Amino acid sequence: MSRSLLPKSLPGQLMLLVAILLFVAQAINFALLLNGRRQLRTAQFTIPAVNRVLDSVEALRLGQPIDDRRGIRQSNIGPLPAIPPHHHDAEALEKMLRKALNDNGYQPGIIATRIAPSRAGPRPPTAQKRPRLRRSINELRIAVELPERGWLNIRAPWPGNDNFIFWQLIFQTAIIYMVMLIPMFWIGRRIARPLGHLADAARYFDPSRPAAPVAERGPGDVRAVIAAFNQLSERVTAMLDEKDRMLGAIGHDLRTPLAALRVRIESVEDDGDRERMAAIIEEMNRTLEDILSLARLGRPSEAASDVDLAALVDAVVEDFRDLGADVSAEEAPRTRIRLRPSLMRRAIRNLIENAVKYGGGAEVRLIDDGARVNIEIADRGPGIPSDRMADVFDPFTRLESSRNRDTGGIGLGLALARAIVREAGGDIVLANRDGDGLIATIRLPRG
Amino acid sequence: MAMAETPHLLLVDDERSIREPLAQYLTKQGFRVTQSGDAESARARLNAYSIDLVILDIMMPGEDGLSLCRHIRATSEVPVILLTAKAEETDRIVGLEIGADDYVTKPFSPRELAARIKVVLRRADSGGARQNGPDASAFSFAGWVLKTAERALVDREGVTVALSSGEYNLLHVLVTRPRQVLTRDQLLDLTQGREAAAFDRAIDNQVSRLRKKIEPDPKNPQIIKTVWGGGYTLAAEVTRL
Repeated sequence: MSRSLLPKSLPGQLMLLVAILLFVAQAINFALLLNGRRQLRTAQFTIPAVNRVLDSVEALRLGQPIDDRRGIRQSNIGPLPAIPPHHHDAEALEKMLRKALNDNGYQPGIIATRIAPSRAGPRPPTAQKRPRLRRSINELRIAVELPERGWLNIRAPWPGNDNFIFWQLIFQTAIIYMVMLIPMFWIGRRIARPLGHLADAARYFDPSRPAAPVAERGPGDVRAVIAAFNQLSERVTAMLDEKDRMLGAIGHDLRTPLAALRVRIESVEDDGDRERMAAIIEEMNRTLEDILSLARLGRPSEAASDVDLAALVDAVVEDFRDLGADVSAEEAPRTRIRLRPSLMRRAIRNLIENAVKYGGGAEVRLIDDGARVNIEIADRGPGIPSDRMADVFDPFTRLESSRNRDTGGIGLGLALARAIVREAGGDIVLANRDGDGLIATIRLPRG
Repeated sequence: MAMAETPHLLLVDDERSIREPLAQYLTKQGFRVTQSGDAESARARLNAYSIDLVILDIMMPGEDGLSLCRHIRATSEVPVILLTAKAEETDRIVGLEIGADDYVTKPFSPRELAARIKVVLRRADSGGARQNGPDASAFSFAGWVLKTAERALVDREGVTVALSSGEYNLLHVLVTRPRQVLTRDQLLDLTQGREAAAFDRAIDNQVSRLRKKIEPDPKNPQIIKTVWGGGYTLAAEVTRL
């Protein structure tokens, strides 16, 4: 039997195990019962048969008549039929007879035994007395050759074959199976079903949507596990709530001095200085927003909605162009997709921003191949050495060794963009262009 | 109230580090500014003075800005500009729903705030009793819904059509003034109060981009109509949601 045929569920395995154990127990019972019946047969049928042979031989020796009605007669012809068919008790029976005759001083010749269907006629009285053995419709025929006295033929009752016992046993086993396996199945289900609910609850655990606790059902152990899981999920949710509160407080506490600074720099006389300061504050604020977004991404507050991705890409590109950046886009047809628009907008913006920052400009294309939607953002910058491709996604990694403020950012942009795209079920792939530059591709699954 | 007089602003923020320099800046810009560090004193000053506009921080200990905004809206017609943080988007939506006129996101440019104050005051002044009304959380027109907090446009099928900042600002100006003819200069002036994005590019360019997004047939526009010699007008029924 292949492994895959074995049941995997708890009720299935329980039932299979119990069925096998019951079968083994029943087989042992069956063997014991057969053995017991053999001993019974010896006591009830074989020994009387041997005694009757002895009695008859004794009667013959003394010249007394033999009572034909008891199925014994003397004849000069051999056993009927002459060659007895084999039956499994024959040898033991013949041995027993010979020994008994020898012990009483007789030297018999051939001893043959045969089991045959009972002839209609007077039933042996021993059989009639025992209703349980009514089915003993067979008879044992014994032929003993007495030297110089011819043959002694004896008919004795013999129990019928054991088939009925076999059927009785199957019937009994079936009843036991029913009595045992139905409750077993019920118990198994009682354990397995709450465990199944628990597994579902754990699998689909979503801290952003507080779910009702799993109902505590089933036996005590299972209830304990479910209660522990409910407490765990409550703790996780509470911790995430706490994290959100903390992030909110951090955001507020960092934004307040930034806002104060932003107001204060209006008093700076030099326009150039003031604008540079404003740009730095703006950048610090953007970095802060990126950090907070990245930290919150496990539990985004924005809901997914149906979005025209072509318009989204176009809007981001247009924002860059309004600020004077060299960003071009191919016009794309309406591309309906379900995602979190503000977050995706930020991911696209971060990638275009990188292209503008490191590549001097960006060419953006939206390609819908039916199964997937790709957003390609290509630049004409130096590209990325192939051995550093994976590194650039690490937060706080930048390729130039100098942390030059002019180029801005701390390398969080790409990490955040990838986290956003992955949360939406897609991925970002980087590749160097033939010639010069880098292509960053946002791959999003459809539907 | 005539614009010739110095408009009286009430600035409510618990952060002195923001409130004081901001009050200084706005005073320099020609406003009269009264400061208040919490909601309770703000209520007292609202009763004591004739305030033309309230600048209100949402996040304050004790009674917060939203609650105070609700109180102001229930008792008077004074326009309100909210100071928010980007993370508090839901607060912003609630703020607009309960009748705030505008909001700026911290850290904000004081120049931008001053420009918006002027726009809101002009709006309150021109229509008298808030005819153009405060900002709403959403406007519905010609099968479209413009959501102000998300700064997004939603079509009949419920699909969000994203707008660039410039497009949004222009459309926002148009839907708050339906069937009014707005000249290019007026549009430039009105959109300036918003983020710096819009000014560099010609209004015509923004209009044609917007038409491409919202008109069934951009070559024969029915929603944003050109008025010869005048400017543009939104030729559609607008419902505040």
